[in-house]
Amino acid sequence: MNMSKVVFGFFVLLAATLNFGFVLGEIDNPAHHNVYELFAALVIALIATVMKFGDRSQLGAVLLASGLVSLLQLLAAALIWSIAVHISDAGLTPAMMASIVSLSAGALLANLLGVVLMTLEAAGIAR
Amino acid sequence: MRTDSLLFVFFRRMRVPLIMLISAYAIATLGFTLMPGVDDQGRPWRMSLFEAFYVVSYTGSTIGFGEVPYPFSSAQRMWTVVSIYLTVIAWLFSISSIISLLQDPAFTRAMRRSQRSRSVRGLSQPFYLVCGHGDTGRLLVAALTGSGHPVVVIDWVAEKIETLEVEDLGAPVTAFTMDAARPDNLVEAGLRSRWCAGVIAVTGDDQTNLKVALTARLLNHSVSVHARATQAEVADNLRSFQTDTVVHPVEEFERRLELALHRPDLMRLYNWMFSGPHARPRPLRPLPEGRWIVCGWTEVGRVAVQQLRTAGREVVLIDPDAERPDRPSDYPDAAVAGTGTQAETLHAAGIDAAVGLIAAGNSDANNLSTVMTARQLAPELFVIARENGHSMHELFRAAGCDLIAEPAVVVAGVMLGRIRSTLVEPFINGMLTEDNAWARLLLARLLRQQRTAPPELSAGRISARRAPALVRALKAGRRVTVGDMLRNPRRRDRALPLTLLLLHREGENLLLPEADTELQVGDRLLLAGRSRDAAQVQSMLEVDGVLDYILTGQRRPQGWVWQRLAGVDAETGRAAD
Repeated sequence: MNMSKVVFGFFVLLAATLNFGFVLGEIDNPAHHNVYELFAALVIALIATVMKFGDRSQLGAVLLASGLVSLLQLLAAALIWSIAVHISDAGLTPAMMASIVSLSAGALLANLLGVVLMTLEAAGIAR
Repeated sequence: MRTDSLLFVFFRRMRVPLIMLISAYAIATLGFTLMPGVDDQGRPWRMSLFEAFYVVSYTGSTIGFGEVPYPFSSAQRMWTVVSIYLTVIAWLFSISSIISLLQDPAFTRAMRRSQRSRSVRGLSQPFYLVCGHGDTGRLLVAALTGSGHPVVVIDWVAEKIETLEVEDLGAPVTAFTMDAARPDNLVEAGLRSRWCAGVIAVTGDDQTNLKVALTARLLNHSVSVHARATQAEVADNLRSFQTDTVVHPVEEFERRLELALHRPDLMRLYNWMFSGPHARPRPLRPLPEGRWIVCGWTEVGRVAVQQLRTAGREVVLIDPDAERPDRPSDYPDAAVAGTGTQAETLHAAGIDAAVGLIAAGNSDANNLSTVMTARQLAPELFVIARENGHSMHELFRAAGCDLIAEPAVVVAGVMLGRIRSTLVEPFINGMLTEDNAWARLLLARLLRQQRTAPPELSAGRISARRAPALVRALKAGRRVTVGDMLRNPRRRDRALPLTLLLLHREGENLLLPEADTELQVGDRLLLAGRSRDAAQVQSMLEVDGVLDYILTGQRRPQGWVWQRLAGVDAETGRAAD
């Protein structure tokens, strides 16, 4: 067993699961989506992306690309959240919430792709 | 290594510090949102994630705006202390990692190399690729940059490349420390670039030169290839695949010695024109008849013996292995064992009755010592010495040699001459068939043009693109001669200090055409003279008014408006009747 592979898999998977947990719930209901969950998803996505850096293989390149996509989407979601809470006068309206959740749902797609790719690679090695 | 992979290396090495930094920021931010605080009205208040991130950002970067938006509670201050140490330590760690990475020799090498590849890709004018920066390479680089051409240099000795970087040369020089024998290295140095005008292989190793020439021929069809070969078979090999110039120093020595023996003025002319930009027209006394001593049975020695014998000179060889059992067929009968450095040996070879000496050994120190000993014994001796390394040149000069065989200078000179144009080769071939009187005349003519520096060669073609005005005139049926072309465009009664060496017309080469030779569309010309004078010819080729003045002596108005005002038909350039 390769410890670095475990750590790598852990972070990629955790990024996907946290993201999934945040997206789960009614899309425009702020009570269903916790800000800390978004924060955790963002931090873990950052770490996962940094860990993907420097892999020269074709698969590594796609993994890095998926990581960058999810990061971008989550950053946009966090930005909208801060704008909604601190800058706009209306506060966290259902419409704002919906766009935050849909952005992070996009990130979830990219994260899931990353997990699938990682699984494929692992399966390839096992064979 | 390409630039993007350099970025990957950077991030792979920075992975741990980056993750530490992210974690430190995440923990600090999270902590701030959990610490209980009080707002300005005394109500319990907690930071949002955004506010927390704001506070961490300015404390982590040690900017420190103070306690915003409300004064901190004790719990928040406690956490501020924790987060300051956390983030500052993470930053210090990351920065020290970046610094150590930037100082890593492997990384800096890769970085500089990618920088150089970028600068080669950025070149947008014809450049030359010089492989090998020894004596010859250095002369070539100096001469090429002196005439304003960028140069890319490859040598696998890092010290040579480093000395190049601090030199002040006239054009951009990009230097790579790598093995020229590998094709991908040549490609990285810009072999496939459309601006690559020529590849010059002058490394110390024949096999490397061969590989460079092959690679250049195969990977870039439009590039001209020039290579040096120290062995005859490698030279033949190079010629077998259309290498533009193959310089075999021994062959070149043979050619020059033969010229010196039979046509000394042609030798002076050839030596002056094809020994680099610093060659000087030196007087040369004729090689005397009588006994010649050749020291050393080397390639050069063998050629010298052959040439002297063909010219009817008596030859005595001094060779440490004179008693060798299997003497080659061209080994001279008169051979003395020993080295030329000792007076006894020279006496045994009959130096008192000798008229000339050729020091052809492989060691510069021995050759010098031979020359000095021989000069003491017989001051009137004609001395020819072979110089192996160019750094000894001043010593050979001081020792008073009549002729010095300097392979580095000769190779560089021959290549520089031929790099200018493909017409130089036919000119040399034609020139070598001429006799001594012809050479004396041409030498005198060129020396009237310029006293010391050898004439620069420039080539041109009478085509609609290069010489629009001249082509229009020729098509209109006007008669333009070589003499007209070389007139001064400001004072037509004077000639420019230029000589037309060769006129190439429909596969035929006309050496030194007469002044009344008529020019035709499609002619290719090889001019000798200063480049600024050659540039004056250009104005005659391009501007109708200048050409008209040269042909008729009348200054016609130039430009459409003035021509209209003067009633000149712009199409034919002739005044309307």
